[in-house]
Amino acid sequence: MDGSDTAPLLTVEHVTKSFGGVQAMRDGSFDLKRGEVVAIVGGNGAGKSTLAKIVSGAHVPDSGRICIKGVEVSRADHSVSHMQASGIEVVYQDLALVPNMTAPYNLFLGRIPRKWGLFVDEKKMRAKTREVLKQLNVTTVQDLSQPISSMSGGQQQSIAIGRAIAWGSDIVILDEPTAALGPNETGEVERLVEDVRDQHGTSFILISHNLDQVRRLADRIIVTHHGVTSREFKRDEITSDRLVKAITLGE
Amino acid sequence: MSDTTTTTKPFLHPERVEKLRDYVPFIAIALVILMFWAISGDRFMSVRNWTFIAQQTPVLLLLAFAQLMIVTTGSIDISIGSSLAFSAFLGALGMLWFGDVGLILGVLAGGFVGMVNGCIISLLKIPSFVTTLAMLIIVRALVIIMSDGTSIYITSDSGASGGNISSVAAPWLLSMGKFPAIFILAAIVSLLMWAFYEKTVFGQQLRAVGGNEKVLRLVGINVTTFKIKVFAAAGLMVGLAACINLARAGAATPQAGMMMELDAIAAVALGGTPLTGGYGSVVKTIIGALTLTIVRNGLTIAGVPPSWSQVALGILLIAAIAISLNRSKIDVVK
Ligand SMILES: Nc1ncnc2c1ncn2[C@@H]1O[C@H](COP(=O)(O)OP(=O)(O)OP(=O)(O)O)[C@@H](O)[C@H]1O
Ligand SMILES: [Mg+2]
Repeated sequence: MDGSDTAPLLTVEHVTKSFGGVQAMRDGSFDLKRGEVVAIVGGNGAGKSTLAKIVSGAHVPDSGRICIKGVEVSRADHSVSHMQASGIEVVYQDLALVPNMTAPYNLFLGRIPRKWGLFVDEKKMRAKTREVLKQLNVTTVQDLSQPISSMSGGQQQSIAIGRAIAWGSDIVILDEPTAALGPNETGEVERLVEDVRDQHGTSFILISHNLDQVRRLADRIIVTHHGVTSREFKRDEITSDRLVKAITLGE
Repeated sequence: MSDTTTTTKPFLHPERVEKLRDYVPFIAIALVILMFWAISGDRFMSVRNWTFIAQQTPVLLLLAFAQLMIVTTGSIDISIGSSLAFSAFLGALGMLWFGDVGLILGVLAGGFVGMVNGCIISLLKIPSFVTTLAMLIIVRALVIIMSDGTSIYITSDSGASGGNISSVAAPWLLSMGKFPAIFILAAIVSLLMWAFYEKTVFGQQLRAVGGNEKVLRLVGINVTTFKIKVFAAAGLMVGLAACINLARAGAATPQAGMMMELDAIAAVALGGTPLTGGYGSVVKTIIGALTLTIVRNGLTIAGVPPSWSQVALGILLIAAIAISLNRSKIDVVK
C-alpha cells in the first residue's frame, strides 16, 4: 500500500507542554504534507517556538501524539537526533549558532565529518560550506576561518538556514527566519524556500509575524492563541483582516 | 593610483592592536629572557641553566595542558595539585605491588579523580570551581590518610631499602626525570596534545562547549557525557604529570603538587587563553608554562628571595592578562 501522495508527512495531535507553572502549549494539532508550506502565526508567547521545539525534538511533549510518515514517535525516541534521522531540521528563532566557531563548523554542528575516525575533515567542511552559500546566493562571505560572531546578522542567518537545508531533509522548520533581515535578504530567503520546495519537494513550517510574507508563501496558515492551535485557513480564504482578528482574539 | 588610506594607518590602529594581542605571550617571553640575561648574564644564559629549565618545565606543562582542556570548555579545575599527589602516590604504590608496570596506576588514578570531578559537575550540576575546591581538600586528605604522612622513595639501586621506609628501585624512572629523556617526553606529549586540541573533533568540541553549550544541546550533542570525558582526559594528563613528578622528585610525598593548580592556571592565562572559555592555544600554553618557569628561575638566580618572587609572578600574571584581553569586547566582569 502506498498512499503517500495524500497521507501527511507529519501529523501533530493534541500535544501539550508546560514549563513549571507556564502552559506554553495547551493543545497543538496540525499536519503537513509533502511539498507544502504551512505557516504558524500568533502573538508573542502564543507557543509557536515551543511547538517548533517539540517537533524538532528539543522538547519532549507532556502529552499528545506525533507521527512521521505514519509512524508514531514514542516518548522514549523523542530526541533531536531521532527527529534529524527522520528528516526534520530547524532554524531556531535565536539561530542557535556557536559564536566562537567558524561558519563551516556551525553548518556541520552535530554532524562533523571525521578523518581516520578522530580528526576533523576541514576540507570537506569548507567545500560543502561554499556550495551551500552559493545555493543561498550569499557572495559576501569570503573568509571561512573567522568565528561566526564576526559576520553580519544576515550572513549568520544564512549559515543557520544553510544548516537546515543542506542535508536533504524532508521537513524544515523556520522560526522567524527573516525577523533580523533587510528587504533584500528577506526576498532571498523567500525565494530560497520556494526553490527548495520546488526542486526537492521539501515541506516547510514557517513561523512568522510578517503576515504579507505568510500570505505569499504559505499553502495553509495555522493560528495559535494562548497555546492552542485554534484556527486554520487555506491559502485562498485568507484576508489580512481575518488573520489579524484570529491572532488577537483567537477567532 | 595612490592608495594612501592603507599607508597612513596610525601605528596603534585598532586592527593592528588586535593582531598584536595575539603575540603578547611571545613578546612577554622574549622580554623576560632578555631582562634576565641583562641582569644575570651568563649565569642565566648558560647551557647548564637552560638544561635545568628544560627539566623544570615538563610537570607544569602537562598540568597546564590538563587545565587548558578544562578552561577551554569554560570550567576550571583547582584540584589538580592534590590529584597530582594522589596519582604519584598510587603510581609508587603500584610499583611496590606490581613492579614497573604498576606506574600505570598513577596515570589511571589521575583519570579517576578527573572522572569523579566531571560526574559531580555535570550530573549534580555543581559549578566546577566549588566541586574541584572540595576535591582539592578531600583528595589531599586522602593522600595523607593513605600515606600516614610518610613518603615512598624511588631509588637507583635495589639494596637501599630497609627499616620502615618504603622504597622502590627504579633507576629507569629516575633517568626519565633527567634532561634528554624528560625533554623528549615533554616534546612528544606536546605534539600529541597539539594534534588532539587543534585537529580532532573532540578538541574542537572543547571550544564549542566553551562558546555556547546550550546550542550543542539543542542540536542533540550529549554535553553531559562530553564534560565527564573532558575532566577524565585532563585527569589522565595530570596522572602523567604525576609520574614525571615522581621521577623528578624521586619520591611520592604527601605534600607533592601543593599550589601547582595555581601555577597551571597561571601558565594557561599567560598563554593568552581567556578563563571564560571558547578559545585557547597549545603553542601559547607551552610559551606560558615556559615563561612562568623562566621567571621563577631568573628571579632565583638574580638573588630575589622566594616570597618576593611570588609577588613578582602575581604582578606579571595580572599584567599579561590585562594586555592580552580585549576589554572593549567585555561588558561584564565577575
Ligand atoms: N524553556 C522555557 N522555560 C520556561 N518557560 C518557557 C520556555 N520556553 C517558553 N516558555 C514560555 O512559554 C510561552 C510560549 O513561548 P514561545 O517561545 O513558544 O512563544 P512564541 O509564540 O514563540 O513567542 P514569540 O512570538 O515571542 O517568539 C511563553 O510564556 C514563554 O515564556
Ligand atoms: Mg518564538
